[in-house]
Amino acid sequence: MQVSKRQFLKGVGALLTGVSVYGATRTLQADSLLQPEPESETKYAMVHDENACIGCNACVQACREVNHIPEGVTRVKIERKGPFGEYPNQSYRFSRVSCQHCEAAPCVRVCPTGAAYIDKETGIVAVNSDRCVGCQYCIAACPYQVRYIHPETRTADKCDFCQKSRLAQGLLPTCVEACPTKALTFGNLKDPESDLVKLLKAKPSYRAKVDLGTRPKLFHIQTIDGEIML
Amino acid sequence: MSAFHFEGLVWHWPIAIYLFLAGLSAGAVFFAIMLKHFKLYHEAWHSPFVQAAAIIAPVAVFGGLGILVFDLTRPLDFWKILVFYNTTSVMSMGVLVLMAYQVVLFAWIACIFQRRISQLLGKRLPIVQRLLNWLVLQEAAITGILVILAISLGAYTGFLLSALIGFPLLNNPVLPLLFLISGLSSGAAATLLGGVLLRGNPNGVEVRFIHGIEIPLILVEIGLLFTFFVGLILSGGQSQVAALNALGFGFWGWIFWAGVVGMGLTLPLAFNLWMKVSADRKFAYVAVTASFSLLGVFLLRNFILYTGQMTGT
Repeated sequence: MQVSKRQFLKGVGALLTGVSVYGATRTLQADSLLQPEPESETKYAMVHDENACIGCNACVQACREVNHIPEGVTRVKIERKGPFGEYPNQSYRFSRVSCQHCEAAPCVRVCPTGAAYIDKETGIVAVNSDRCVGCQYCIAACPYQVRYIHPETRTADKCDFCQKSRLAQGLLPTCVEACPTKALTFGNLKDPESDLVKLLKAKPSYRAKVDLGTRPKLFHIQTIDGEIML
Repeated sequence: MSAFHFEGLVWHWPIAIYLFLAGLSAGAVFFAIMLKHFKLYHEAWHSPFVQAAAIIAPVAVFGGLGILVFDLTRPLDFWKILVFYNTTSVMSMGVLVLMAYQVVLFAWIACIFQRRISQLLGKRLPIVQRLLNWLVLQEAAITGILVILAISLGAYTGFLLSALIGFPLLNNPVLPLLFLISGLSSGAAATLLGGVLLRGNPNGVEVRFIHGIEIPLILVEIGLLFTFFVGLILSGGQSQVAALNALGFGFWGWIFWAGVVGMGLTLPLAFNLWMKVSADRKFAYVAVTASFSLLGVFLLRNFILYTGQMTGT
């Protein structure tokens, strides 16, 4: 069979285009639509009630101890805005910044080795540090900027809802237990009787940067205090 | 805010050098193939310009990959990228393209210089001789695949950044095209510079041919840069903030207007047009134009990488 160079080039070009388009469309939506195996009964999520939060950073300290996080990096931050109003009637706003455990996680999508993955059992976005080479693509890809290189392991690290340290023992994430004002609620999104689902149904909540299509599982209940900001 | 250190900065200048070298390698190969295919035919292996491209392309891609490996936080684990793949990761697919590109690149170089290599080998290593003869028979296929891989590699350097959805300046559909075109023009410049340094004729058919392609290439690059930033500004929101932040009067604004637009695009375009109408080209003209062009593309990579990471969504 005689194949001209032009035909050959066309063929290879079409093949490459097809493969790359197929790969690209498979990524976000397709995964959730075409799941072959039955879904797990557990999907962990967290709610941060900004009305209850007093910005004491007990969660940050507890996380540092339990998960052995060295100084200089952290899995969770409480961001403070304010003060609002005149002394003595001043108030601050606090919001939690930590891994959002996205359903369509950009970090998982970009990781070249599959070190960043979504745990099928729990929906937790986790890191397999044995596979991580430290290219930092996940750190750049995360729109919430919650990933960092752990100074000791030299691999990417972030909040895993205490999956390795406490969930395995049947305990709540340490930040939830440490919170003196019960601002954090952790639970299973698929269990309608859980405190988490009840709270989400009772109070209006928001999630950060939903327009990026990441479908995060860290919910925030907005504070009523303070002034309206545009 | 300091130009090289700011909050949210993840990827530093080594990545910009890597992006520059990968695009340059792809561009040099692209122009060497064009030269052989349209102008030099079977005499390509004599040409100092093709020889320069055959040296620059592998050296640039190896240098770029070396920088990339040393920039990992665990450089000794780099082999894991070669063993584990993730089809949704641009970087992982880029690694596949890079691997294939290097293999086919050496096959192509062997085809081009087959006669020379055979002369050098004489009667030794008959296996290599047979391999070379077989490769030469496949030259059309090798050339075709290499063109496709070179273009893929040039565009990949842009897709790598445009996959970062948290940064509106990077997450931009024009970026891969911009990087591809500027990578090709840096490859043309490197081929010209290497060629005249290897005592190629600065007024030869190769220089005229490459300059003929370079002028429309620069015009397309200007158009792409324009579309890139106007698109961002018209998108509004953080995209607009990112664009205006980058183009403003800071350090990077100067790099963009003086370095990328002035030195990297306007001067080479003017020199090229001048050389087109003037009677003959001299070594200094060709070398200076090519150097400006190279420096401009290098600055563009740094500019996009740094300003891109300055403004998040």
